[in-house]
Amino acid sequence: MNTPVFTSIRKLSEAIINGETTPIELTELFLDRLQKHGQTLNSVVTLTRERALKEAKKAEKEIKEGSYRGPLHGIPYGVKDLCATSGGIPTTWGAAPFKNRTFDYDSTVVKKLGEAGGVLVAKLAMIELAGGMGYRQPNASFTGPCSTPWDLGHWSGGSSSGSGASVGAGLVPYAIGSETWGSILSPAGNCGVAGLRPTYGRVSRHGAMALSWTLDKLGPLCLTADDSGLILEAIAGYDAKDPSTSKKDFKHEDNPPKSGFKLAILKNGLEGAEDAVAETFKKSIETLEKYATVEEVEFPEYPYEHITRTILNAEAASAFDEFTEQGLASQLTAPEDHYGPYARTIVLAKDYLKALRLREKMCKITEKVLRSYDALVVPGRSRTAPPIDQEFRKISPGTSRDIVGAVGNGAGLPSIAIPNGFNEKGLPTSIQFMGRAYCENSILAVAQAYQGKTDWHKVHPERFTV
Amino acid sequence: MSDPEKIDTETEYLFSLVKSQYGDRLSEAELEEVKKGVERIVETSEELRNVKLGNWDEPFSVFIPFREEEE
Repeated sequence: MNTPVFTSIRKLSEAIINGETTPIELTELFLDRLQKHGQTLNSVVTLTRERALKEAKKAEKEIKEGSYRGPLHGIPYGVKDLCATSGGIPTTWGAAPFKNRTFDYDSTVVKKLGEAGGVLVAKLAMIELAGGMGYRQPNASFTGPCSTPWDLGHWSGGSSSGSGASVGAGLVPYAIGSETWGSILSPAGNCGVAGLRPTYGRVSRHGAMALSWTLDKLGPLCLTADDSGLILEAIAGYDAKDPSTSKKDFKHEDNPPKSGFKLAILKNGLEGAEDAVAETFKKSIETLEKYATVEEVEFPEYPYEHITRTILNAEAASAFDEFTEQGLASQLTAPEDHYGPYARTIVLAKDYLKALRLREKMCKITEKVLRSYDALVVPGRSRTAPPIDQEFRKISPGTSRDIVGAVGNGAGLPSIAIPNGFNEKGLPTSIQFMGRAYCENSILAVAQAYQGKTDWHKVHPERFTV
Repeated sequence: MSDPEKIDTETEYLFSLVKSQYGDRLSEAELEEVKKGVERIVETSEELRNVKLGNWDEPFSVFIPFREEEE
């Protein structure tokens, strides 16, 4: 191992076992990198130095004594700042009104990573309230707009901004993000890293800010698809504190199949895509066709986006009812977030319930489309990272339709985005593999096979290489 | 196909409700944006209302009565 920076968890853990590095060495290295580059990117809210060194020392002692917990033991990580952490570490939700707020407990995901021997080094920046107020620009967090490490003048994506940027810049080996609709896949795509959105209910939401109780998911951002599986195995599982969690086990496959996949692509799936996104997607399909069959599919007409949008609007209105009534939105950073929560206070109960009734139909339609395939393959994002100082919804006309995002999140399906090329400005593009509910191992196998044939995940932004 | 007149009417009613509740804390420009947001919500709701369902089609969430487990 030349340097631990931009090294996969799989290899870092081997290096720890072989005595090439130690948890304390790794922790100090990544704390230094977070300190040095975090402000450049606006990707860090709080460095958790004291807690990290304590956890690293404990991990080092345990490993020396032969009590090895597994591949995450002694590996530093960061967490999106919507997951509660104890010990006086603030949990800000990216929002000015909460910048000094603390909790006296750890969210389940942080607790589980602690049990796996993880070392928490930072709380990472995010769009205020996970974008739930309707932001339209990168400057929507009290920590400032977060840059992609590929070009500081372009946005990291959001709302798990700091999780994507910090992994992409090699400031942490992996991070936890959350997605209600696009918040893991967007930063993964803009920052050129792997982002896994697990099946709804795979990972406990206990202790995480709620935006939409039936849409929120927590998942990892990291360097490889294989690492995504390792992290998911550690954080997945039933939690009595989150009644939505599944009792279905998740075990990441160490040696997944490398060929023989059956993949689907969407008819007209590149409509509205940036030229570079379309070009890298077509090249990726050519690569995939060497070890998989690829067929075109189509979703029948159905109000997919309206269903998921209505559920999100109604649940967010309720989740932030007190916040809205107290007028706290006026203290948020993005001007559009000052008035964002008010319109949705009038979603009628009958329309929310209609959306929930239609959701079952949507799930069944989607299962019918996907059931014969290992994954649906689409671009991770239809556009590359937008400029950091512009409203992205204004500069991306024609991209408001997002059937795959609506279906994937509305039906609670797993998806992984991984890098698959660059545009002419050197900004990363990404490819997404979405699967059936609880079929993370299928999409991880396809993504791992793709990364076995390509090197996009091994290319890192020069500014942040050691 | 949704009826634009119906959407306009519903938007006006619902917007006036939002304005009566929160108007004092929003500027004219912000209220205009809120009105556009209300219109989008009404349009979205109309799309859902246009899909027919049976009386037996339940919401996709299950209510489970709670009883604390005895030690």
